[in-house]
Amino acid sequence: MSALAAAWVVCAKDATEELRRKVAIVAVFFFAATAVTLVSFAMVGALALPPADRPPLEAALLWIILFFAAATGLPRAFVAEEEAGTGLALRKTIPAAVVLAGKTLFNFLLFLAMAVITIPGFLILLDWKAGSPAGVAATMLAGGYGLAVVSTFLSALVARAGQRNVLFVLIAFPLLLPLLQAAIAATIEATAGGFPATALRVLVAYDGAATCGAYMLASVAWED
Amino acid sequence: MKALKLLLLPYLAVVIAAAFLWPEPAAGFIGESSRIVFFHVPCAWTSTLAFLVAAVYSAAYLWKRNPWYDDVAAAAVRLGLLFGVLTLVTGSLFANVMWGSWWNWDPRESSYLLLVFLYAAYLFLRAAVEDPDRRPRIAAAYALFAVVLMPFLTFVAPRITASLHPQTVINPQGKVLMDTPTRAVFFGALAGFSGLFAWMLSVDARAGRLRRIGQDILGS
Repeated sequence: MSALAAAWVVCAKDATEELRRKVAIVAVFFFAATAVTLVSFAMVGALALPPADRPPLEAALLWIILFFAAATGLPRAFVAEEEAGTGLALRKTIPAAVVLAGKTLFNFLLFLAMAVITIPGFLILLDWKAGSPAGVAATMLAGGYGLAVVSTFLSALVARAGQRNVLFVLIAFPLLLPLLQAAIAATIEATAGGFPATALRVLVAYDGAATCGAYMLASVAWED
Repeated sequence: MKALKLLLLPYLAVVIAAAFLWPEPAAGFIGESSRIVFFHVPCAWTSTLAFLVAAVYSAAYLWKRNPWYDDVAAAAVRLGLLFGVLTLVTGSLFANVMWGSWWNWDPRESSYLLLVFLYAAYLFLRAAVEDPDRRPRIAAAYALFAVVLMPFLTFVAPRITASLHPQTVINPQGKVLMDTPTRAVFFGALAGFSGLFAWMLSVDARAGRLRRIGQDILGS
């Protein structure tokens, strides 16, 4: 089986397991939906702000929701294997980099599904105007991929550590902040109607660096 | 290392005295506040150097699996954090004099704070991995992954939004914009802080090795 096919099998396995269990995946979507509702309720006063003042606030809120919704679901990638006792079997049958690729792909798809719920909620409940839909879509793809690859790698690191849920947030936040900052800057520009070329370059550079780092260190983080 | 310690004491005494007495305060800064550059920048430099040393020794550990390299990497992160906190404190003192507030959420201030968090997380991660055989490997992987993303915190993030921070030594012109006395004391301080770090690293890494051997004896 080629590495690509094996990565797809890992991704499909994770998707099947999560859809079968439902609890974790429902929790992620429920968190995203609740957070959008709560933010729109709290932002009623802010709707009166002049249109020019709203993009920074809206972009920051959108990415805060996406980050924390992701933090409830993405770290499960490797942790779930250890909890189910299947980690050893996976380590013995598939190379770590391929497992990382499959789990990153699943987390990326999960992030996009979260974005599909969150963004229409934002558009409707907060009267958000995405001035450049292409810019928003490119930001979601580049930002979501970075979030997925870093979260998946860190999940492998904390999978066999104590207090892993708290530990994941502690180690993920400082590593992901440059990505969040660039994603927020890109979303502000896209909301205003421009295509965020500069911020997207930063996001793509971050994604590239994180991907290289994660794949070079995958075996160290995951294997015995 | 004993010779380095004996040399460092008089050398740093001269650098500190010179920092307060030799160069004139820089134009455009309130009072004597510009003299912080002789302490703040060397602290930031030493902190970054420490994190790079941690990455090099982490890579060496993964290659050779020699626990001494892990002792050095952990000591380098601890010292990097110490110098990182000193960078934040000296920056905050300057901010209060120049901008009237101890903390301004300036992009450079914030990104440096996050860099400190990034490496504080290294110590949390070490503490959370209970298996002594796995701990150095996981810590080394994190240190190397962190150093790959560190440039985004130190170089990219502060430049995405406007900053109050004075122009850095690494500026767009690629020139050190300082008069001769300031330049001499500044580079003297950089060398002195680097030497101090080398000596402290040697002491802390050896203390770490003793702790590890002690734990091995108690554990066996």
